Amino acid sequence: MFRLRTNSTDPVTFSFEGHEFTASRGDTVAAALLGSGVFIFRNSAVSSTPRAPFCMIGNCYECFVQVEAMGIVQACLTEVTEGMQITKLSNSIDEHGMDIKEVSKE
Amino acid sequence: MTKKYFDVAVIGGGLLGSSFAYGFGQAGLSVALIDEGDNAIRTARGNFGLVWVQGKGEGMREYARWSRKSADGWANFSAQLSELTSHDLGYHQSGGFNISLDEAELQQYLRMLEGLKADAGEEGYEYELVQGRTLAKYLPGIGEDVAGATYCPHDGHVNPLYLLRALQEGFSKHGGCYLPLSSIDQIQPLKSSGFELLSEGRQVASCERLVIAAGHGSVGLGQQVGIRIPIYPEQGQIIVTERSTEQLAYPTNMIRQTDEGTFMLGASARDVGFNSETTTDTLQDIVRRCASAFPNLRSLRIQRNWAALRIMTPDGFPIYSQSEEFPGAFAFSCHSGVTLAAVHAQDVCRWVVDGKIPVDYQCFGPERFDVSTAD
Amino acid sequence: MTTQLPLCDVAVIGAGPAGLTAACELAESGRNVVVLDEQGAPGGQIYKGVEKVFADRPQDIGPLGREYAAGKALMSRFRQSGAHYQPGVSVWQITSDQEPELALGLIENGLARMLYPKHLILATGAMERPTPFEGWTLPGVMTVGAAQTLLKSSRLLPEDDVVLAGTGPLLYLYAMQLKKFGIRPQAILDTGPPLSLRASLLGLRALMTCPKAMFQGMRWLWSAAVKMNLIRGVDLLKAQGENHLRSVSFEVGGHRHELSTSLLLVHDGVIPNTWLSMSAGIKHHFNEIQDCWVPQIQGAGLTSRDCISIVGDAASIGGAEVAMLQGERVAREVDAYLEDHQRSETLIESWVLRRQRWMRSFIDEAFPSTAQFQLPENDIVVCRCEEVTAGEIRTVTERGCMGPNQGKAFTRCGMGPCMGRKCGLTVSRLMAQVRGVSVQEVGHYRIRSPIRPITVGQLADMESSLNGDNQSLLSADSS
Repeated sequence: MFRLRTNSTDPVTFSFEGHEFTASRGDTVAAALLGSGVFIFRNSAVSSTPRAPFCMIGNCYECFVQVEAMGIVQACLTEVTEGMQITKLSNSIDEHGMDIKEVSKE
Repeated sequence: MTKKYFDVAVIGGGLLGSSFAYGFGQAGLSVALIDEGDNAIRTARGNFGLVWVQGKGEGMREYARWSRKSADGWANFSAQLSELTSHDLGYHQSGGFNISLDEAELQQYLRMLEGLKADAGEEGYEYELVQGRTLAKYLPGIGEDVAGATYCPHDGHVNPLYLLRALQEGFSKHGGCYLPLSSIDQIQPLKSSGFELLSEGRQVASCERLVIAAGHGSVGLGQQVGIRIPIYPEQGQIIVTERSTEQLAYPTNMIRQTDEGTFMLGASARDVGFNSETTTDTLQDIVRRCASAFPNLRSLRIQRNWAALRIMTPDGFPIYSQSEEFPGAFAFSCHSGVTLAAVHAQDVCRWVVDGKIPVDYQCFGPERFDVSTAD
Repeated sequence: MTTQLPLCDVAVIGAGPAGLTAACELAESGRNVVVLDEQGAPGGQIYKGVEKVFADRPQDIGPLGREYAAGKALMSRFRQSGAHYQPGVSVWQITSDQEPELALGLIENGLARMLYPKHLILATGAMERPTPFEGWTLPGVMTVGAAQTLLKSSRLLPEDDVVLAGTGPLLYLYAMQLKKFGIRPQAILDTGPPLSLRASLLGLRALMTCPKAMFQGMRWLWSAAVKMNLIRGVDLLKAQGENHLRSVSFEVGGHRHELSTSLLLVHDGVIPNTWLSMSAGIKHHFNEIQDCWVPQIQGAGLTSRDCISIVGDAASIGGAEVAMLQGERVAREVDAYLEDHQRSETLIESWVLRRQRWMRSFIDEAFPSTAQFQLPENDIVVCRCEEVTAGEIRTVTERGCMGPNQGKAFTRCGMGPCMGRKCGLTVSRLMAQVRGVSVQEVGHYRIRSPIRPITVGQLADMESSLNGDNQSLLSADSS
């Protein structure tokens, strides 16, 4: 999809889903992930199909990720910092969907 | 289509109007459902979705009974509507909890429930105080500082948007005629019986019986047929969160979880005239109260806030009235359009067909507000 | 060190050419100005990262173009103007005219706070027109604007198999920038119609009044045609793949073609980003020629709310030069209003602005929005968030649904996180098509806060608003 033009002059290491990657200081999280070969950021809420950034300016809301200490953010509007720990959304709907459970009264 | 003469015309395509239109259709009548446009007040957008019995009817035993009757018939009503339209309403009746954040609130609420129980006498009034670890079992994640909650087995909830959609589709399937973008401003009684309804001089429909269920618009329309409807707008703000894997098995007075997994946060009421804009301090009140009740909500993204203008009557109870001057014209207004949808579609429709509101339900008439009428 | 003062004379949302120019003018004349930017550095979209490029990657200045480089001067002026710059701040709310004071709800570093400006200038710029088509939600399908953002502010370049598709000047500008970086796209799929007679005439006028820009545009087109596999008359674009994009197919003259690729960049013109202005209750109308909603503006930037002005592409698409000129005019208008609370509409449009408007008329006529995208087939997903198809929208409209807000209730379309940014225009168009009326009559989504993500906890923890006039009565009865 994308390739890096040059090596970074000011590298920053971060992790995504436990794997370590490198980006450049000033990169957005979205650019950092795309540059590291991460092409699927999350799954859609309704049908769990894979989604990735579409607009890169905060209007499509496809690039949600979870950043430790910051919570849920739009990756294209968040700058990557040294040691940042990023994961896919933890409260994403599981593939079987939601069901209201009824606790029976004893 | 517009020149047709209907058995009954319902003015208002919200929750009340759609319930009536569906009910009349079920009864085999020819029905016109007349509605405004996309950007009208649309009170129905303020529905929270509770089918609620608990706490209703303080000061009017008949209303407590009426709410209970509707809740008892809701499962049947929902099943019939679902089957007819092949739409799931998201209706669940596993009971509900009224959460009181602090002790003072709890004691006040318990006193009210005791009063309702006393009023009910032999008919009975069920509720149960749940606290501490037991409460945490039914409402996992409940805040530690929450004083307690009362459980009523007759409470439930439904997706109000799905309900509205199903009612309108059900009405359509029964051959009803939907006439949107027609804001009725003139009701002309016809010589023998019946009415002609006009919008900006244009004839919209004619009908034998007329039901006014036009939310805030009912006031002006009621006047035209000699019915007084003292209702006023009560602004309610609602917040809906993103979908979540957190689970809330029971609806509560301030929070309920939808089948999609989103949380609806609410319970605000302000008297601000016809203002349907949200305000920061009320929104903050809502999130603070809900976050106290369920701290796990704090991490959820707010998807949307909105405000709607609900119907409030001077005593909080419905106003059901018929015109004496123009028999065949009725007007119905109430706050709890979701809870009462079942009885509206069945019982109230029958009243209109029979031509009169039964004596037992005349307690809901607007005459009760007339100071001059002695008891 | 950013100032956390809750009060200021003027708040400007957006740090592109329009917002920065207005901010400079006002700050230089002594007003207390705060510029709120959700990016990390000023420049908006068009001058994105320009300070960093000059400092760290001067070799990129040439390929990115002269217009881009011109932004550096504006950045320098801004840094010296005395305006307070607050980067990394999202605006989630503008209070309605029903609240006692104008206030902005902000999020910065995960903390919510309020700001109370006397006057607000919205300079939120443009967004790309939504482009629903088969497969557009696949990873690997992005907008041209997205790729351009990556070009300016990161070291990411598309691989050689990239395919561009759509219409509009930005498509060709980007193709030229790629060429200068040594990338030749596999194909440029132009979905636009041939130049009409009216467009040619408007083009002649534009050529006489803005010769430099017109010649540049013609050079781009020629270059694309000759050197970059430009294919015209493209229809029925489809993106194909299982979990991500693998190939793109399209039709030309009735024949279907397929290209294998991992990146498809689409563009169908730019439109004003009206989400903040709509949420503030400002009146908008639908411009049929430009095929988008625009705020109703009087004078340079006055709106239906006295305390809010709009400037730049957020008011009407015009590009950077127009944005800066309008920024100056709006600044003078706001200054006059702050002085004596009178709306002054006597600012005469300069010849330069008029010339630019003629250029804009030509562009509107020569690059109309693509029918395939604007009125998609029934099986195409229109609402990306809630996965609602064009067919569902058409069906509920046929059944009597009168507008997009009621459509939300019936289909959930528009109720997802993007709040209709990617579907709103399409939904209004589809409903207008079914009902046989204008888009203006159908209307648009009612936009409410929050405009940017905020959590329950962030709102709960925010310090209470200045005005503690709390009228909330909490009712136990809510059904």
